[in-house]
Amino acid sequence: MSTINFAAREINCKIVYYGPGMSGKTTNLKHVFSKVPGHLRGEMVSLATEDERTLFFDFLPLDLGTVQGFKTRFHLYTVPGQVFYNASRKLILRGVDGIVFVADSAPNRLRANAESMRNLRENLAEHGIDVRDVPIVLQVNKRDIEGALPTEMIRAVIDPKKELTLFEATAHTGGGVFETLKSVSRLVLDRLSQNK
Amino acid sequence: MIEPSLALYGDAFERVDRHLEELLGATGVRYCLLVDRKGFVLSHKEALWAPRPPALDSVATLVASNAAATAALANMLGERTFSEQIHQGEQGTLYVESVGDQALLTLIFDVSVPLGRVKVHTKKTITQVAAILAELQDAPPVQFSEDFSKGASALLDDLLG
Repeated sequence: MSTINFAAREINCKIVYYGPGMSGKTTNLKHVFSKVPGHLRGEMVSLATEDERTLFFDFLPLDLGTVQGFKTRFHLYTVPGQVFYNASRKLILRGVDGIVFVADSAPNRLRANAESMRNLRENLAEHGIDVRDVPIVLQVNKRDIEGALPTEMIRAVIDPKKELTLFEATAHTGGGVFETLKSVSRLVLDRLSQNK
Repeated sequence: MIEPSLALYGDAFERVDRHLEELLGATGVRYCLLVDRKGFVLSHKEALWAPRPPALDSVATLVASNAAATAALANMLGERTFSEQIHQGEQGTLYVESVGDQALLTLIFDVSVPLGRVKVHTKKTITQVAAILAELQDAPPVQFSEDFSKGASALLDDLLG
């Protein structure tokens, strides 16, 4: 993008994919990148380690188009899931407008899912944000792995009051990826029109 | 809490734009960007002779993230913030300076441009731009109608199926 037309007004929304390590956050973004036409998305930036684990974040800009004279754009981010990268996760949550929590269906990751959600609440609180004030969508990923836990068991440790909209996904094949993104985007835009 | 980041527009945008244009002329830098702390480009100017810039969305995101990481380091070391960052390579330099707590002024230039000159002119521009951003804080928030949500939903259907 060499020039930007600032005569038009712009709305920019930040959506963060959060969740435990290896749950499929980056895979979600890679699928979006591969399926959205080039003129509606920018480059995908990945700050990853040599073994392709997210070090700081992945980033993908998406252009929605112009709504009532406002050029509307989503910036999608992932956080590093590994426990010891919490300082980075905290930074990426700054100014967040919507969150996709990507949970892992593997039986040995149930605890990691719960801890990651607790970590999200704590990090949002440090930014002065109550978890109930941000649009959050729950994606239960890796539904196709052998021995995948029942969705409701996973929800019970992340969202026991069943307040979040839940999507089942197999991000590596693209299943549920767009449905999840569409849902969180709609929640963010609804918030905008309610002027919250 | 939701923090939509609105690009500058109207009179405020034109004034910021003018200051960036002046800065570009006075310093001889290639690109000059005003980026908000969330990583969105608020305004951008480039020299007529400059080659096509890299993806500005990506530059803005990386600059803002870098600034956030540097600020976290500053806090750990007992500083409120580190207000400027300089990255010098063999061919060029990236210079980033805070515009208050709201934005970052980013300049990208060749090694032939003296860093001292850039710093002097940037500080003057920052004072001017900071005053405009301070005015904007008092501006009433933009109101969106329900039609906005409907229009956006239709576009989401087009984009994501």
